[in-house]
Amino acid sequence: MHGKFDDLGRFADPSLLILTSLSDGPKHGYAIMTDIADFSGVRMEPGTLYGALSRLERRGWVRPLAIAGRRRPYQITAAGQEILAEQVTTMQQIVRVARLRTAMAWGA
Amino acid sequence: MSPGLADRLSRALVGCHPRRWRERYGEEMLDVLDQHHLTARTVASLAASALSSHVDPAYRTERLSLSRSRLRRAVVISAAVAAGLVLAFGMLGFAAWRERWQLSGAGGVGGVAFAPGRHLLVSAVGGANQDSMDTVWDLTDPARPRQLAAFQGGEPTALSPDGRIVATVSFGGEPVLWNVAAPRRPARTAIMSAGGTAPLWGEAFSPGGQILAVAYTDQIFLWDVASAARPRLLGTLAAPVTTVGDASFTPQDITFSPDGRMLASVTGTGYVTVWNVTDPARAARIATLTSLRDYVQTIAFSPRGLLAAITYHGTVLVFSLADPARPALTATISGIMTHALYPDGLLQHPDAPPCPSCSPANYTVAFTPDGRTLTVVVARQEGNVTSAYSIAARDTVFTWNATSSGAVSGLTTVTRDVNDSQPTLAPNGRTVADGSPTSNAVYLWTPP
Repeated sequence: MHGKFDDLGRFADPSLLILTSLSDGPKHGYAIMTDIADFSGVRMEPGTLYGALSRLERRGWVRPLAIAGRRRPYQITAAGQEILAEQVTTMQQIVRVARLRTAMAWGA
Repeated sequence: MSPGLADRLSRALVGCHPRRWRERYGEEMLDVLDQHHLTARTVASLAASALSSHVDPAYRTERLSLSRSRLRRAVVISAAVAAGLVLAFGMLGFAAWRERWQLSGAGGVGGVAFAPGRHLLVSAVGGANQDSMDTVWDLTDPARPRQLAAFQGGEPTALSPDGRIVATVSFGGEPVLWNVAAPRRPARTAIMSAGGTAPLWGEAFSPGGQILAVAYTDQIFLWDVASAARPRLLGTLAAPVTTVGDASFTPQDITFSPDGRMLASVTGTGYVTVWNVTDPARAARIATLTSLRDYVQTIAFSPRGLLAAITYHGTVLVFSLADPARPALTATISGIMTHALYPDGLLQHPDAPPCPSCSPANYTVAFTPDGRTLTVVVARQEGNVTSAYSIAARDTVFTWNATSSGAVSGLTTVTRDVNDSQPTLAPNGRTVADGSPTSNAVYLWTPP
């Protein structure tokens, strides 16, 4: 996970990555980080992760589960799933426009 | 930024968050740091998180109000305090985390071995990787481990009692001696290529450091290593190779008795063979110990003529070798695994995917130097884990009082969640060293 995708971290919203990671089941902090690295190539650092997790928690988009050892799994809430779906729709729109316009710029 | 510095700074920065934030997230964040590869980016992200949490109304300390000028001042103060703490703790280390230290290199801890005499430890990072480093640590002050020699010597398996010679296995599978008496100039002194063609699986120094037992799957070679530059072959012992049951499971352990008169090995059969090595040139097998129903996985001698063995499924056996020719089974303790369960009676970590073929546990066993206490550590892994669930393990430390006749009583247990654990007991029979194959760290801890 080194190199060319690192800069993507600046463009991809950590909250979106976390909600995406949690949408297939609860995960603890480190599992979220490795999952995000696996599916997006973004190496999220612990400070960024917990900053975003605490904001998501306060908005009611994720909920903490009972701690197991030193690990606390987090679960996406129904509200979190709704917001993720909205975000994905918006992004699909952006992707569609970006594809169209880059295709035009290349003269396709 | 060096990994050690990034580690210390990151941990200090977790402590720089507001109290309420630390109470809520501190412990789990430290757990993440234990598993994460820490770099300057980690430090930067934690510094940013510490600052933003101080100005976050939800975690802000009571002294701050909403007034903008005071808020600005608070940010400046927080930054100054954070910078001060980072400098202070970065240099001094943080008392709470002093039990852990970072090893150089990358790839995980491959092996940990204590020298019986001095508090020294060899750790391999990287296992079979050619870049792996073997490191000798001086643990005279356990709170401040001091790194002595570091060298690329292959997989280390034994450290001489005086801490001067490290026996390793070369990448070609041959036993090699390294002289580490001068830590800045570790030197390879001998390759003992006279051994067989069978795989080499273990090495052990005698308590006096004169003899090195080199264990292959079919025989054990006894070398006189009084001169590390010119090791002399004293004799060979035929090790039983009959494999019983599951051939893929081959428990292996080798150790000398504290008086140096006996050598015990566990080989592919899961049986314990005891040899009389009083005269190494005329060493002879004196007994074979077995649990009959289970493989023995690891063993330890007591200074009072006992031998303790742990089987694959966690049964503790104690034999009296008062009459070595007629060893007597004096205690059988089964069911200790039921004490080592995860909450809700689970056999493995609740996060872990099921793994029916996984080994139930890693074990280590030792007696205290006075022989009065028997300690067994059971390390339960999560199982056959994926990267997303990579590391979690639970160490359960069992201690019993042992009499000289081999009776044991008075069980106490202590449990601790650790990183992926390959525990080793220190010569004091109490301190546990957890080397994690998935992080470059060894944890030392002593149950209360």
